[in-house]
Amino acid sequence: MFDRILVANRGEIALRILRTAREMGIETVAVYSDFDQRALHVRMAHQAIALGGELPSESYLVGEKILDAAKRSGAQAIHPGYGFLAENAEFAQAVMDAGLAWIGPPPNAIEVMGDKIISRRAMKDAGVPLVPGLTDAVDDVAEAIAAAEEIGYPVAIKAAAGGGGKGIRIVRDPAEMDTAFRTASGEAVSAFGDGRLYIERYLDQPRHIEIQVLFDAHGDAVHLGERECSIQRRHQKLIEECPSVVIDEEMREKMGEVALQAGHAVKYEGAGTVEFLWSGGEFFFLEMNTRLQVEHPVTEMVTGIDLVREQLRVASGEPLGYGQDAIEMRGHSIEVRINAEDTAAGFVPSVGTVKNLRFPGGAGVRIDSCLYRGMEVGLAYDPMLAKVIVHAHDRDTAIRRMRRVLEELNVSGVRISAPAALAVLEESAFQEGNFDTHFLEGLDLSKPHGNEEQLAAAVAAIYRRHRAADRALAVSGAARKGWRERSRAMTSAYSQAAGRPSAGGDA
Amino acid sequence: MKYFVKVNGHDHEVVLTERLGELLVEVDGEPMDIVYEEVDSLGQVLAITGEGAAFGVSIEGDSQRAGITIAGHFYDIEIEDERERAAHAAARAAGAGGGSVKSVMPGVVVSLLVAEGDEVEEGQPLLVLEAMKMQNEIVAPAAGAVVRIHASEGEAVSAGAKLVDLKAAEEA
Repeated sequence: MFDRILVANRGEIALRILRTAREMGIETVAVYSDFDQRALHVRMAHQAIALGGELPSESYLVGEKILDAAKRSGAQAIHPGYGFLAENAEFAQAVMDAGLAWIGPPPNAIEVMGDKIISRRAMKDAGVPLVPGLTDAVDDVAEAIAAAEEIGYPVAIKAAAGGGGKGIRIVRDPAEMDTAFRTASGEAVSAFGDGRLYIERYLDQPRHIEIQVLFDAHGDAVHLGERECSIQRRHQKLIEECPSVVIDEEMREKMGEVALQAGHAVKYEGAGTVEFLWSGGEFFFLEMNTRLQVEHPVTEMVTGIDLVREQLRVASGEPLGYGQDAIEMRGHSIEVRINAEDTAAGFVPSVGTVKNLRFPGGAGVRIDSCLYRGMEVGLAYDPMLAKVIVHAHDRDTAIRRMRRVLEELNVSGVRISAPAALAVLEESAFQEGNFDTHFLEGLDLSKPHGNEEQLAAAVAAIYRRHRAADRALAVSGAARKGWRERSRAMTSAYSQAAGRPSAGGDA
Repeated sequence: MKYFVKVNGHDHEVVLTERLGELLVEVDGEPMDIVYEEVDSLGQVLAITGEGAAFGVSIEGDSQRAGITIAGHFYDIEIEDERERAAHAAARAAGAGGGSVKSVMPGVVVSLLVAEGDEVEEGQPLLVLEAMKMQNEIVAPAAGAVVRIHASEGEAVSAGAKLVDLKAAEEA
């Protein structure tokens, strides 16, 4: 096992990795941008190395700076977390070329799975079911319209190099194609530097179900069941759970086998996730995420397996040491992402300084967070500030627990996504397990969901009255100046009486 | 003192009267029995109403605009006293007819799709705004002419910043 690792990330995921490493007796090295100088991951690591630069493109995305920090700190391995360089095959190769261990899959697996067009071809060859669509990129709007006619509307336009919901547009008729193509292409260029787009059938009432897999470097692999991630908006997930209400033991085995097949096809190593679209009992390969995912904790809560620990074991060459029989799923887990956004105004980003902070507690509650009082939330970095995760013996209890947890949570200074999640959890359709990937978009979150408007009005008025009273009592600038001058005169009089000079000079 | 409090877009009236050192609270014409206690200087308030219904309330903001969280739910507050209400009403009357498209979120202007003097139709994209790496087209709320463009390509804009001034079609 490694003695020292470098975590090439920030935020809650950097802390997540640091925590397991520390528990395993591994020394940890954090890196940080100028913006993150006071961040929690910097304070919680054994060593912290400045990368310089304010923006991600000047810090966490600069491979040479990360490698240099690894050399200076004597780290033997690099954990990339998610985002930034986690799915950059070139960087993975550079880490290995520098004689360090890469805590992630082989560069070739990243490369194949990272390109949606190449991965679809590879999966087709491996016999993995795919959503109907083209395996080639379309060059312009006319070609896109022709392709859409062939596949049948509605279609999804996606960035070939995409991920995280960027560069994706749904088109329901040819008239929408022009705008959709232009904005998707623009997003793809600015997010990935690659504007290639491809087109596929858009399934109605789909659910997003993904399978967690673990491969060691000796050809052994297990799957850790599914995660239900259908509560999302513009392909950004808000609530995830494990297990899914629509997946029974038989379906789980079937999807698990296909997921392992996908991983074997690219000689995968480490932790990965195979995403599927599930529609009416059928499932289709979407993509494979060749990294640890944001929502991995729900799988950890249900299986009892620490995925970061397994990543570190696999990267250091250890065999998994257990088979599929050892994987047992117990109870139900739900995660809610706490993002800095105003969900009532259409999920627009919210910026500010975190003031009040109150975390929930109690049994079956896990908080993965990078929040602290005084933290600046800006636009340059990911808006996800924290994840709250609950575990209970069944889904009903887990939902009740999460509602209780979100009622306890309080973050001020920025608007957070918790009220939207609470609104979802209060919906009977969600509680009955009756939802798809459009559920969140269909929910009217601009209308108030709380029932204490009159109380809120009274508190706001009293609070304002108290602030006005504070101002009336506060010392005015003129009064303060008067006091200061008077006290200065008195001090000077005292020093003169004591025979000391009142100011430097003639003594 | 009377306050007009808009909570999540709904109007409420709160009257606060101090009598013998005690604050009497009336909401929408009904007296409210409330114990109000500020727990810290960060906006944590304990409110106990009626026969002991207790609420942990979090409040932030200034004298006109505030946000309140009660049991996980957010309440967007706009508050005015009688004098401010009159002043705001006058300002609104004076500004009627003017049309500014404002940014609803902080972001960066990626590209401008119209120029000053252009005639635009309702729903026509005016510019592309990028926030959190997502690109959004900002469209004209109504048909009209572009009078002035306040932003340039590559410029960072804050929430509420004016982007484009439009003149309604019938006025143009």
